Amino acid sequence: MKLRAIELANIRRFAGQRARLSGLGDGLTVLSEPNEFGKSTFFDALHAVFFERHRAMGAPVKALRPHAGGAPEVTVEIELPEGRFAIFKRWLSRPQARITDAQGRIVAQDDEAEAWIDALMGGTAGGGLAGPSGLVWVRQGLLGLEPEGTTAEEKRARERGLNTRRDLLSSVAGEIEAMTGGRRMDAVVARVSTALAVLATATGKPKAGGAWAAALAEVEALEREIAALRPRAERLSGDLARRSDVQRQLTRLTHPEEVAARDKALKTAKAAQEAAKAHAAQLAQAETALRLAQTEEQAAQTAIDRLAALEARLAALRDAQERAQEKAQAARARAEDLGQRESEARKTAEAATIAARDLRQRLRLAQKARLAQEARARATTLRQQYSRAETLSQQIDAFKAKLALIGLTQKALETAEEAQATLDRLTAQAEAQAVQITPLPDGAAQALIDGQPLGPEPHPVLAACTLSLPGYGALHLDPGAKRGAETARALEQAQQARDRALEACGVESVAAMRALWGQAQQHQAALTQSAAHLADLAPEGLEALRSALARAEAAAAETPAAPEDPTTLDAELAKAETAENAAQANARSAQELANAAREARAGAEAERIAAHRAFEAAQAEAGDPQTLAARLAAARDALPARTKARIEKAAAHQALAQNAPDLATAEAALTRAQTAADQARQETEALSRELTELNSRIAVIAEEGIEETLAELEGRAAEAQDRAARYGTEVQALTRLRAALDAARSAARDAYFRPVIRELQPLLAILHPGAVIEIDDQSLLPTALTRDGAEESLDILSGGTREQLAILTRLAFARLFAQAGQAVPVILDDALVMSDDDRIEAMFTALHRVARDQQIIVFTCRQRAFAQLGGAKAQVTVDPL
Amino acid sequence: MTFRILHASDLHLGKPFGGFPETIRNRLREARHGALARLAAAARAHGARHVMLAGDTFDAETPAPETLRHALAAMAEEADIGWLLLPGNHDSLAATELWRRIALQAPENLRALTMDAPVPLAPGVSLLPAPCTQRRPGRDLTEAMSAPTPEGDLRIGLGHGAITDFTALESGEAAASGIIPPDRAARSGLDYLALGDWHGRLQVGPATWYSGTPEPDGFKHDLAAGALLVTLPGPGAPPEVTLCETGQFRWHGLDLDLLPGGDAPALLRAALPAVKRRDHLVRLTLSGRLTLAERAALEAEIAQLGPEFGWWAADLSRLAVEALPEDLDQIDRAGALRQAAQTLWEESRNPALAQAERDVASQALARLYALAQEEHP
Repeated sequence: MKLRAIELANIRRFAGQRARLSGLGDGLTVLSEPNEFGKSTFFDALHAVFFERHRAMGAPVKALRPHAGGAPEVTVEIELPEGRFAIFKRWLSRPQARITDAQGRIVAQDDEAEAWIDALMGGTAGGGLAGPSGLVWVRQGLLGLEPEGTTAEEKRARERGLNTRRDLLSSVAGEIEAMTGGRRMDAVVARVSTALAVLATATGKPKAGGAWAAALAEVEALEREIAALRPRAERLSGDLARRSDVQRQLTRLTHPEEVAARDKALKTAKAAQEAAKAHAAQLAQAETALRLAQTEEQAAQTAIDRLAALEARLAALRDAQERAQEKAQAARARAEDLGQRESEARKTAEAATIAARDLRQRLRLAQKARLAQEARARATTLRQQYSRAETLSQQIDAFKAKLALIGLTQKALETAEEAQATLDRLTAQAEAQAVQITPLPDGAAQALIDGQPLGPEPHPVLAACTLSLPGYGALHLDPGAKRGAETARALEQAQQARDRALEACGVESVAAMRALWGQAQQHQAALTQSAAHLADLAPEGLEALRSALARAEAAAAETPAAPEDPTTLDAELAKAETAENAAQANARSAQELANAAREARAGAEAERIAAHRAFEAAQAEAGDPQTLAARLAAARDALPARTKARIEKAAAHQALAQNAPDLATAEAALTRAQTAADQARQETEALSRELTELNSRIAVIAEEGIEETLAELEGRAAEAQDRAARYGTEVQALTRLRAALDAARSAARDAYFRPVIRELQPLLAILHPGAVIEIDDQSLLPTALTRDGAEESLDILSGGTREQLAILTRLAFARLFAQAGQAVPVILDDALVMSDDDRIEAMFTALHRVARDQQIIVFTCRQRAFAQLGGAKAQVTVDPL
Repeated sequence: MTFRILHASDLHLGKPFGGFPETIRNRLREARHGALARLAAAARAHGARHVMLAGDTFDAETPAPETLRHALAAMAEEADIGWLLLPGNHDSLAATELWRRIALQAPENLRALTMDAPVPLAPGVSLLPAPCTQRRPGRDLTEAMSAPTPEGDLRIGLGHGAITDFTALESGEAAASGIIPPDRAARSGLDYLALGDWHGRLQVGPATWYSGTPEPDGFKHDLAAGALLVTLPGPGAPPEVTLCETGQFRWHGLDLDLLPGGDAPALLRAALPAVKRRDHLVRLTLSGRLTLAERAALEAEIAQLGPEFGWWAADLSRLAVEALPEDLDQIDRAGALRQAAQTLWEESRNPALAQAERDVASQALARLYALAQEEHP
């Protein structure tokens, strides 16, 4: 649908006038006029045509009426794909609605005309802002995206706008019927959530205070009660069963027949035991008699055996005694023989020993004599050596004394010679350097120097001196104080050194010293030679030589009386010692044999004594040998009677034993019977006591009606369990339902907003490149703008921005309408009043972009600002009616 | 000589009914106690002087003192009626304390039949009781009914236990020992054999009956509960047995197998009693399958009907949902709701999922359908 012209008659300031707005193009058309021109009047009139029934009497209609009154009329010329039409409406007085086509033919009137308009507006017109125009037409000064206010009408208006958006979006999307589904969805979700919240927490757990939690708590409480009660009930049940058992046992134990049977059994067992006991006594007597007979028989046999054995033993012992005596006698003879031999051998050995000892004595004497002879020869030699050595020793002492007397050493000689050489060198040097006085007398006068006559030879002046020249007087000569003093001092020191060396040796000159040193050398050579001789003669010293001489002289002094030849004696001694050894070995052998024979003799003697004693003992045991045989015969005669008696007793015992009752069995039977009786009595007493206790306990617990209570609790617990399970199932179903609803709504929301975003985003990019708009899933309108990563709620945006977003959103919706085949013009009545120049320019661009396939009509009073908008210019003509 | 006697059993006094809410629980217990007076009234009304209770008069071996005393007092109050109490398996002779107390506190008109010896009931009438010695005696106690009685006496056997091993029949297992032979009456020459243990009423033979409980206590036997008025014309003559209703409550265990296309709410209504619903307990088990719409309608009907009854439980876990595309359309033709429904529907039919998951999805879908219907578009 496109608007082509709007014609007003008798509307507000156009009272009695006809105002016509025309020149509305396909794209952008601008009506730029100052205030009070009537732009909003055109807007309101246009709105009334589409959204106020012609019979309406409400404020929007009355507001169209001029002050002077009258019936307002509006004609809107539109162009549809099927042609051009004119919509005429008159309100208040003779209201009318009419649709005519391009040829002026009436298409519909009154209510049909309203229906025609409704169909044109998508079937939802007639209710104010319900149609698409309500969504895209922007009234003067609008900042938000939908009507504000809290009146019922304003709320309805918002609701209708929401419905329209849902309708629009769902039809565009083609997959979601959001208008109906959305609202019902909200209600269903709310009811599911409410139902779920009553039972469960957000995490699906039973909610405290809810019926589910209560059922579970009841189950738990009942199970606790049951758990507490069950042991008592089981105890009661056990006690009852036990009491029945006890009573049954007591009945059995105390039954007269049972008692009589026990008594009878006891008596029978006692009688049997006594009979068995008596029989056992008889049997014991028979057994004793039998044992006695057996013993007597055994004794008789034993006596026979003993006497016979004794007789045999006596004979054997007698033989043994005789053999022992013979053996002892032979041993004694052999011992005596061997003793004799031993004595002889010992004597032979003693004689051989004496002979050998004599020979050894004689050999020692012969050897001693030979040694004395040798000592005498050696003493002579030693005496001579000692004499020579003594002489040499005396000579050595004399040389040593001479050397000591000279007392000169080679070192002292070398020192004196060195000092003399130093003195000679200094003297020569002094004389060479000194002034020499040579007298040249012309007379006999004798010149004196330092009082000493001066010879004819040149005389060096080595030190200050006085030269007396007779007749002249004296001359003091001084070789120079410094030079003369040094030379004199050196000479003096050298002289002193030489003098000290000489003095130490007690000589006057070095030459004397050398001569003396030559004597000393000769003495030393002689001394050395003598010492060498002495060393040859007495290498260990003179004293040792003298001791050896004394020992040799002493040895030589011993001389034997009749000396024999040691060699001969030695040979004799060897023979004698061999004979001695042989004699001693023979003696030892004879001794051993004699000793053995003595031991054999002692053993044979002991045997003889033992055999004798044994025989005597046997004789003592046997008593009189003559009665022994008689006793043996008597014993043999008595044995048959004993044997017969034993056989008789054994037969009697066997007869009793064969018929004997078993006493142990009889006693065991008695014990058993007695025990059974005792046990029965004790058991009866114990059971009676237990029965009393059980009765008491049962009476107490049974009073509580515990079984009924337990059964009731179990029933209640089962019921509560079922109930809890039902709630659990209910929660499962509700949870699943809510999840399905949430998932579906989420999917729907995505599909829902896609077309709006698709249309809005390019327009938004013109003003805010890169910005993203957020759409609220309840209002289906933008709620926030994200620029540069920061999200800003629509409420905090500037008035200009909000105004721009409101218009852009409407443009986007208008495009959606167009795509849905419901193209409607966008009408902006002084819509951009808060935008700055830059933004207005951008908005103009956005308007032009949309206007390429969308009719846009802009009313504005800002003529300068909108001069840049461009687009077609609408014309307004006003004519009187 | 005609002899009348009232035959009842399995009163189970003191049964706690713990699985039920407190209100109905107390009413059920009270109804069991009240059965004594109703039995006495029935006996009196039909000229019977004795009421035979064929075992399980008490639910527990050691009932609460008040349970026992109230029962004994109630019997004492019906002084013109003779009460014959036979130990059953619940209150067998092993419940020594119970029978000891009964022996101590019993009124004169109560006779505890704790021995299996013949009891002269009236001139010419001998009662042959077979008290249970244990909860499971393991032998046929009714052999004692062959005991001789005076010549010409009516012989009435009174026993407790199974003729058929009902448990084994139900489970398919081998029958336990201790089963009463079905021809016990003939074997022992009884004119009538009164049996207890089976809570439903059952005729075993011409002269052998289970009376069932006089006050129902479970969903197993959906019969009018009561006692049997037994009229014995004379020795050897067949007994006349008529029902005397004594039950206060009726228990209905309803199993409905449903299919799409039927009117499930109508079927349900038809299966339910129309009057005195307060005295009816209903356990509804639904199986088969319904469409989402049908299931929603049925659930609404159940929600409306339930509170009218004394107790009500409906198990829909075996009722499958057969969701058709048009059912999903009723949730929504498109949009998120439809998508959620579609997801759940596919999940409920996905063989790759465990049955438990499919059931959850199915229940979630049914819930979504109901909620969506309540939120009209």
